[in-house]
Amino acid sequence: MNAHPQFVEDFELYALGVLDGDDKAQFETHLAGCAECRAKLASARSSLTRLALAAPASTPPPGARERVLESFRASGPKPREAAPHASARRPFGSPAWAWAAAAACVILLVAAVWLANTNLRLSKRLAELELSHQQLETSNLELKATVARAQTVLDILSGPQTTQVALSPSSAPSVPHGKAFYNREKGVLFYTANLHPLSSDHTYELWLIPTVGNPVDIGIFNTDTQGNGQVIVTSLPQGLTAKAFAVTVEVAGGVPAPKGPIVLVGPVS
Amino acid sequence: MTGHDPVRRDSDEGLIRRILSGDEAALGVLYDRYSGRVYSVAKRILQDDGAAEEILQDIFHQLWRNAAAFDSARGALGSWLLVMARNRSIDRLRRRAPGAAEEITPTLHTSGPDLESAAAANELADRVREALRALPEAQREAMELAYFEGLTQSEIAKRTGDPLGTVKTRLRTALASLKAELGD
Repeated sequence: MNAHPQFVEDFELYALGVLDGDDKAQFETHLAGCAECRAKLASARSSLTRLALAAPASTPPPGARERVLESFRASGPKPREAAPHASARRPFGSPAWAWAAAAACVILLVAAVWLANTNLRLSKRLAELELSHQQLETSNLELKATVARAQTVLDILSGPQTTQVALSPSSAPSVPHGKAFYNREKGVLFYTANLHPLSSDHTYELWLIPTVGNPVDIGIFNTDTQGNGQVIVTSLPQGLTAKAFAVTVEVAGGVPAPKGPIVLVGPVS
Repeated sequence: MTGHDPVRRDSDEGLIRRILSGDEAALGVLYDRYSGRVYSVAKRILQDDGAAEEILQDIFHQLWRNAAAFDSARGALGSWLLVMARNRSIDRLRRRAPGAAEEITPTLHTSGPDLESAAAANELADRVREALRALPEAQREAMELAYFEGLTQSEIAKRTGDPLGTVKTRLRTALASLKAELGD
C-alpha cells in the first residue's frame, strides 16, 4: 500500500478520475504521505488538460457574448455606479402617479444595488469556499495518511499475530524485561517480555509512580505462553507526572494499591 | 512570461491585472480569446446549447471572482478555463444522471499548455485530435467516456460490457500512446 505507483499512467488514471474502489483508496493513501507523488500528479493533471482540446470546435450561440458580459456587469465590482441614476429625473410639478413611480424606481434601484452587493459578497464567499475546499481535500489526504500510519503502529503493537523478537547477546540468559513509551499528554505504550506466565487467579498490574503521591494503577495484563504482554493507555490521570513505572503480581482483577511482589521497575529518565 | 519582462496589456497576465483594476473590457478580450474553446468542451460533454452557454457564463464569472487568486506563475489561464469547463460540465452531467458518484471539484491552480496564442493552440488541438484518432477504437472510446463523460473504470466496464481488467488495460495503454505521441 505504501509503494510508489509504478507507472506514470497511474497518475494520469487518477487525474482522469477513472480510479475507483480499492485502486482509488490505495492511491490516495499513498499520495497523502508522498510529496514526490503529489508533484507527479500535478504534472499528470497538466498533461491531461490537452485532451480538452479534442472537443469538436463549437461556436457559442449569437448573443452569448453580450449575455455573458452583461451578466458580469450586473454582478461586477462597481454596482454602485447604478445609484446616481436614481435621482436623475426631477419630480417637481409631476402628477401624483409620477411621484409614486419615482418612489418605486428608487425602491427598485436600492433593491437592485442591495442585490448586486449581496451577489458580489456571495460570489466572493463562494470563491473562498472553493479554495478552502481544495485546501481541506489536501488536509484530508494528509490526515488519512497520518491515521493510516498510526493504525499500522497500533496494529503491529496490539495485533494477535504480532511476534515480539528480543535481540540480545547470544550468550545472555532470557530475563524478564519491559519497555514503556511515556507521553504525559498522550498516554503510555508498555510491552514486556520473558515474564513468567501466571495462574488464572493472578495478574500482572502496571503502576505509574508519580513524583508526588501513591502509585496509580494504569492497567492489568497477562502474558502469552512466551511471557510477552502489553498495555496501551490512551489517557492518563491529569496533573500526574511519572517518575517511574513498575509491574507487580496481584490477585486477578487487580488491586487499587500495590501489595504483591515487584517484578519490573524502571525510572523515567 | 518571465518576471522581468514588462507585462503586455493584452497578454493573459496583463488582462488579469486589468480585470483586477475593474477594467470590464479586459474580460471581453479574454472572452474573445477563450470562449470558443470553453464552449466547445461544455457542448461536447453536455450536448446541449443552452446548458453549454450556462457553463460558459459560469466559467467567466469564476474568472471574474477568482481573478485575484489566479496565479499566472503556476498555471496557464487557458488551461485553467478548460479544466473548469470540463469539471463543471461533468459535475452537471452527473448530477442529472441517477446514481452520480461524486462531485468533481475544480482546481484553481491548474497548469497546462499555454493556449494564449490561437495559432499554437490550434496546432496543439490538431495534434491531440490526431493522436486520439490514431488509437484503436476501443481505447479511444474508453478515453472519451472517461474524459468527456467522467465515468470511472468500473462505470466504463459496465457501459461497454467489457471486463474491468480489460478497461483498465485499455485506458493505461491509451494514455501511454498519447504520451508517446504528444510528449509530456
